[in-house]
Amino acid sequence: MHYRKIMPYLFISPMVVGLIVFRFGPIAASFLASFTRWSVYAPPQWIGLDNYREMFSSSEFWTVLTNTLIFVAAYVPGVVILALVMALLVNQKLRGITLFRGLYFMPYITSMVAIAMVWNWIFSTRFGLVNYALKTLFNVNSPPAWLADRPYTLFVLILVSIWKTAGFQMLIFLAGLQDIPRELYEAARVDGANDRQIFFKITLPLLSPVTFFVTINSIINAFRTFEVTYAMTQDKPSYAPTLAYHIYRNAFIFFRMGYASALAYILLLFVGFVTFINFLLKRRWVFYRA
Amino acid sequence: MTVSKLFSLALKKTFIYLFLLAFGFTTFFPFLWMVMTSFKSRGAVFTIPPTWIPDKLFKPGMWDNYIAVLTKYNFIRYTWNSVFVSTMAAIGQLITCSLAGFAFARMEFRGKNFIFAALLSTMMIPTEVSIIPEFLMMVKIHWVNTYLPLIVPSFMVGSFGTFMLREFFASIPKDLEDAAIIDGASIFRIYWNIFLPLSMPAMTTLFVIAFINNWNALLRPVLYISTASMRTLPLGLTTFKGAYEAHWHLLLTGSVISILPLVLIYFAAQRFIIEGITTTGLK
Repeated sequence: MHYRKIMPYLFISPMVVGLIVFRFGPIAASFLASFTRWSVYAPPQWIGLDNYREMFSSSEFWTVLTNTLIFVAAYVPGVVILALVMALLVNQKLRGITLFRGLYFMPYITSMVAIAMVWNWIFSTRFGLVNYALKTLFNVNSPPAWLADRPYTLFVLILVSIWKTAGFQMLIFLAGLQDIPRELYEAARVDGANDRQIFFKITLPLLSPVTFFVTINSIINAFRTFEVTYAMTQDKPSYAPTLAYHIYRNAFIFFRMGYASALAYILLLFVGFVTFINFLLKRRWVFYRA
Repeated sequence: MTVSKLFSLALKKTFIYLFLLAFGFTTFFPFLWMVMTSFKSRGAVFTIPPTWIPDKLFKPGMWDNYIAVLTKYNFIRYTWNSVFVSTMAAIGQLITCSLAGFAFARMEFRGKNFIFAALLSTMMIPTEVSIIPEFLMMVKIHWVNTYLPLIVPSFMVGSFGTFMLREFFASIPKDLEDAAIIDGASIFRIYWNIFLPLSMPAMTTLFVIAFINNWNALLRPVLYISTASMRTLPLGLTTFKGAYEAHWHLLLTGSVISILPLVLIYFAAQRFIIEGITTTGLK
């Protein structure tokens, strides 16, 4: 070894310190806090499982949870499929293709606040483009109040989230696509395979590690949706809060730190559980090249 | 190629272009509307039917919204704040992640695999779980209403960045390192003089990604900034939405302003970003 034994530890120290201070420490503290009643101004009081009891018997909680699960169930397939389609499109050797790649990435780099404004207008009940089109083109007499009624609001949030993040996942798929050796395609064509066979028997299986990664990433992000809800529905009475937003609201608006910590732990459990399931299923459909 | 083959190829290409344009339109349309609206006066924003051509375009007073937003509403200040915070956070990421990535790629030490696994696992933990104690900690050490809580957490925690740089460092040929050892270089010099310069594409990518993430971040600024003059851009945008009315035209103007730097940076660094994500080794 051409370095002193302590050197590696010095190198990783900023990262490790950061992890302890900003990740593992707070997580442990959160765990303890979830058993307390704690507004910021008063010292925490131990109340055992009361927070959890309150949570499970509160209808608001179950509504929020349902919203979150619906959100995840709709968002993840939507974004994964869209990103894959976009990546396939953008993988062609056509003129001006880099322009399209950049274009599709733009929603991702735009601030949520700005995007929320635009989509708020598009879906605005009275002035919005969507309702305008519905009225004039399709003769719908009383088009939905997109951002005021719960089922519609959730739909809008899902749509906007997909629109915003598909570009980023597309880039990851693109990287995966470009990794597939050209010879495989050529060999398949020589053997007489048509496009559909190539896609399902070669492209998809070889892409499966990337698909797995994108899926997990999307699931985790879906559970964490805070910014969409905050930016688009914040000052309206809470029609479609998701779990992450519910945590924020309880912690920083109602100052119920203990309860919010309990909520955060439930969130963590869900993410962990879903991720675990995914890793179990991984063996079934993810295929690694030898 | 036979005529029919050529024809089907052309058909395929047309189809692809059509789809590209369709998606492009969906992606681009909101931005187009944003820019158009930034040139409208207050009353012209919401009309039935929605108007397309802005009323102020190419007439005197065209830039009124921009001037108002930049001066009266302090957006020059906010932009500067955002630049400062994002740059510092991104630089911090570079330092922390390159050091750690180098250690994982090129050094051996006890617990290496365990720590690396722990690192990866944190990627799955939502920020929301740790934000409450983090906030209380910041209150305790009086960091609230400073830029420190916006910069330091990003500075020090970078699972994705470490992962990415580690892959990149691992792909640098060992001979360079061996040559330097023979010449008597210390491990730090190897890191500083060889690995860092060679990984400019990856570092640039990481910088851009970190910069973008911090630029658009809403959670921490919302929690920690209460002084108006210290606001970052996303926070500044929210001020246009009052409880009873919203100055949509100004708000969208502000939005355009807040996007421009990112768009420029992105297009300038586009090649690097795709390269960076490609070499991350998602296998």
